[in-house]
Amino acid sequence: MTLAEVPPEVTTAGAATPEFERAAAKAESRRGFLLAGPAYLYLLIFFAIPLGIVFAYSFANRNRFGEAVFTDAGFDAYRRLAAPIVRDILFRSLWLALLTTAICLVIGYPFSYYLTTRSSKVRNILLVFVMIPFWSNFLVRNYAWRVILGKDGVISRITDFLGLGELEILFTPSAVVLGLVYGFLPFMILPLYASIERIEMSLIEAGRDLYASGWQSFRRILFPLSRPGVIAGSILVFVPSLGAYVTPEILGGAKTTLLGSYIVTQFLTARNWPVGASLSFVLMAVMLVATIVYFRAGGRNL
Amino acid sequence: MTDPVPAVTITGITKRFGDVTAVDDIDLEIGDGEFFALLGPSGCGKTTTLRMIAGLDFPTMGSLQIFGDEVGTLPPNKRPVNTVFQAYALFPHMNVADNVAFGLKMQKVERAERDRRVAEAVGLVQLGGMESRRPNQLSGGQQQRVALARALVNRPKVLLLDEPLGALDLKLRQEMQLELKALQREVGITFVFVTHDQEEALTMSDRIAVMHEGRLLQVGTPEEIYQRPANRFVADFIGRTNLLEATVASSEEVVLSNGMRVAAASEHPTGTKVAVSLRPEQAFLYRRGAAPAGWPTIDGVLREVTYVGNALVHTVAVDWITIEVRTPYRSTETTPEVGDEVSVSWEPGGVTVVGD
Amino acid sequence: MSVIARGPLPGGRVPRVRQRAGRWSPTRAALGVNAWFVYAFFYAPIALLVVFSFSADRNVGRWGGFTLGWYEDFIRNESVQDAIWVSVRVALLSTVISVVLGTLAALAIERFRFRGRQTFDALLYLPIIIPDVTMAVMMLLFFSEFFDLLNLLFDADLRKGFASITVSHIAFNISFVSVVVRARLAGMDRRLEEAAMDLYASRWKAFRHVTLPQIAPGVAGGALLALTLSLDDVVVTQFAAGPGATTLPVYVFGLIRRGVTPLINSVSVVMLVASIGLVILSLFVQRSRSGSAAGPQGVPAANRARRST
Repeated sequence: MTLAEVPPEVTTAGAATPEFERAAAKAESRRGFLLAGPAYLYLLIFFAIPLGIVFAYSFANRNRFGEAVFTDAGFDAYRRLAAPIVRDILFRSLWLALLTTAICLVIGYPFSYYLTTRSSKVRNILLVFVMIPFWSNFLVRNYAWRVILGKDGVISRITDFLGLGELEILFTPSAVVLGLVYGFLPFMILPLYASIERIEMSLIEAGRDLYASGWQSFRRILFPLSRPGVIAGSILVFVPSLGAYVTPEILGGAKTTLLGSYIVTQFLTARNWPVGASLSFVLMAVMLVATIVYFRAGGRNL
Repeated sequence: MTDPVPAVTITGITKRFGDVTAVDDIDLEIGDGEFFALLGPSGCGKTTTLRMIAGLDFPTMGSLQIFGDEVGTLPPNKRPVNTVFQAYALFPHMNVADNVAFGLKMQKVERAERDRRVAEAVGLVQLGGMESRRPNQLSGGQQQRVALARALVNRPKVLLLDEPLGALDLKLRQEMQLELKALQREVGITFVFVTHDQEEALTMSDRIAVMHEGRLLQVGTPEEIYQRPANRFVADFIGRTNLLEATVASSEEVVLSNGMRVAAASEHPTGTKVAVSLRPEQAFLYRRGAAPAGWPTIDGVLREVTYVGNALVHTVAVDWITIEVRTPYRSTETTPEVGDEVSVSWEPGGVTVVGD
Repeated sequence: MSVIARGPLPGGRVPRVRQRAGRWSPTRAALGVNAWFVYAFFYAPIALLVVFSFSADRNVGRWGGFTLGWYEDFIRNESVQDAIWVSVRVALLSTVISVVLGTLAALAIERFRFRGRQTFDALLYLPIIIPDVTMAVMMLLFFSEFFDLLNLLFDADLRKGFASITVSHIAFNISFVSVVVRARLAGMDRRLEEAAMDLYASRWKAFRHVTLPQIAPGVAGGALLALTLSLDDVVVTQFAAGPGATTLPVYVFGLIRRGVTPLINSVSVVMLVASIGLVILSLFVQRSRSGSAAGPQGVPAANRARRST
């Protein structure tokens, strides 16, 4: 090796130091922040601030003209949620949401179990046909019932033909429950299917082997093992049913005001913003709690 | 004339992740053209060391040179090294040819030159005709070759390999060991590879660095490491051995825990607790009293004999421990049977003293 | 996250075929009957709606002979045409913007540690779990306060309409897109990016040539989801829309509340066909990519649930 080929002198400038490592980590952090920046800023302005405004209004008062004002702000609006009319609406909403959940579970459980007994090819096709209504336009699917249930509609003519008289359930709580079940049944089926599908069939066979009857093996083995799916599915049906707005508006009558419609009314017609705001916050709290339960039940993995 | 410049020079490198010190003040030189192994159990810092050479992690402290150029703070795309990743990390959306051509494209090597070099690299790893296949259409061994070609096509100054054979089954792994070695001789560049498999390291490398808990315990040729382990951990990790607790009596002699004096050179001060490493194949088994005169001998009872194909492994219970003795298997010989009274013996100087 | 997440087969595993003893039992028969009942329940109303959209009778649920008249009405109706136009513009614009912002957000959260990351993560989830009605109320109050303020400060004449609808749709779509893209990113081997950098790619080129092609199905799925949600939304839009502009679902919703007419049948069928077209497209996107896919199905049912009350 000649002298000219001797490599250049080692410079220490490029050696690593804790300062360099920190600077590199900082640059990395800055990059992340910049990437998140646009969405962060957007959600702060157009989500966090609106949420804050609603929160503020839930503590507001109303002046003589019914306008929301912040003098004497306090828990007035929350206290008024205990008024009989609001309480009735809350209970009715809860009851209809529970009923919807129960019906979905009773229909959805055997259906999901049935799916798991099919061959994989058939099962895929069957699932796609659950998926299609799941993703198609919700408003239109509710409207379809309006057409069917209406006066002279298909249903009432069938019952008439059968000699049961014209069935008039449109604009009743029954119609609302029917619409909610129709809308949310897929939300029950899909997590149920996911949790039943992963249960080892051999466990049920083992149960049968140990002299369990069909009912016993369902009650003692299948059902307990599919519990995460039952919980997840129930929450997925219950929560949107509780806050439902479109379905009761289309299929329900004046006497079946539910939570969602009541909140909307507070803003659009009654102009009682504080009560509407506090009620939406209560609804949100229910939703948050349910979401936490959902994740606890393993919803993330379903 | 000057000394040849090492391919990789690591001086005082430390890497901390929060409170955890992954690599603790390492000094290491890897020579030009060496096949070098970083060996150690998982979590010993070997992969972190490799990643720092590649530029995928920055050291907390220290100097890292490649052929004399300081690169410690350069990003991976500015370093003249390439990596064969664990599980290969082939781009699943590109075919073999595009995978191999990726580095050249990024370096803006012109089309004709690129095609020529890709063809050459694909030929080198014997994948001619597979150019338009996707990674998921290849076997594990073929994917490994693509990963090699993808790195080598860039003519790196140093090739880094992270557990290159870890994903292959035993038979294929043994084939690839030889093939990798041949490939390295053919291309003549420095290979640095990480493995937790001591047998693989011994078979393939020119030199081995044994790491444990972020520290470098010993660097040497496979023979040095096997025959003269620097400490108890290395002796135990590399191959199989019997470790007999002992105390240094003088620079020429140690005392075993049963009071027996054994000739063994050591540099430890008198009175130091050490261990004597007796390799199973360097121990001999005799019927009680038949050991050659002048050889260190320990009496015991034969507890178990295991036939392992070309050898017999005997487990002998002596006073305070059990000792493993490995003897070549010859069907014509009669050997002691389980329950027999035997002696374990070794040639004077056939043991190594290892400290903590 | 994946009821649906890995598409029709949760977990992406090869499904086991359950043992089926060939013998008949009342339980088995009941299960089969129940299944067919569920499918009839799902599809009969939709089918009947389609049938009656071709009925000449003015009563929406009675058959009065075949006609295409209501579709002609639909095509001639300017309010409907305007609403469709607004819907399409809102959907496309909000999808494009939320896909960009949502993908960047997903990258930031999955690939970087930065200050405020956890707050951002929570903020990103909120629009998914918040009830529709609450979100609607938020938009109403925000736009009335915000526009009042701007109008006062700058003597401007801002009104709710196209812009406020789009803004509110982006506010929920960002979150849905980022959830879908995140699922995809989380499933991607990070070593691929490292390998690209090791092979002389700069950060940008590694993203462009390796990360982006890998997450493309997730981005496409997120976009389809955003389109669907935007075209589906009634409540939030109703509150964010002023007199200036309205979307098709809000317009139809208004019509239904005033009383059903055969025109609504034909508009509904068109909306239905469009939404089913999107579903099939997304299933197709999912199928055409091997490996784990994230179509709209890449979103937990909870997400979908929230947008359809």
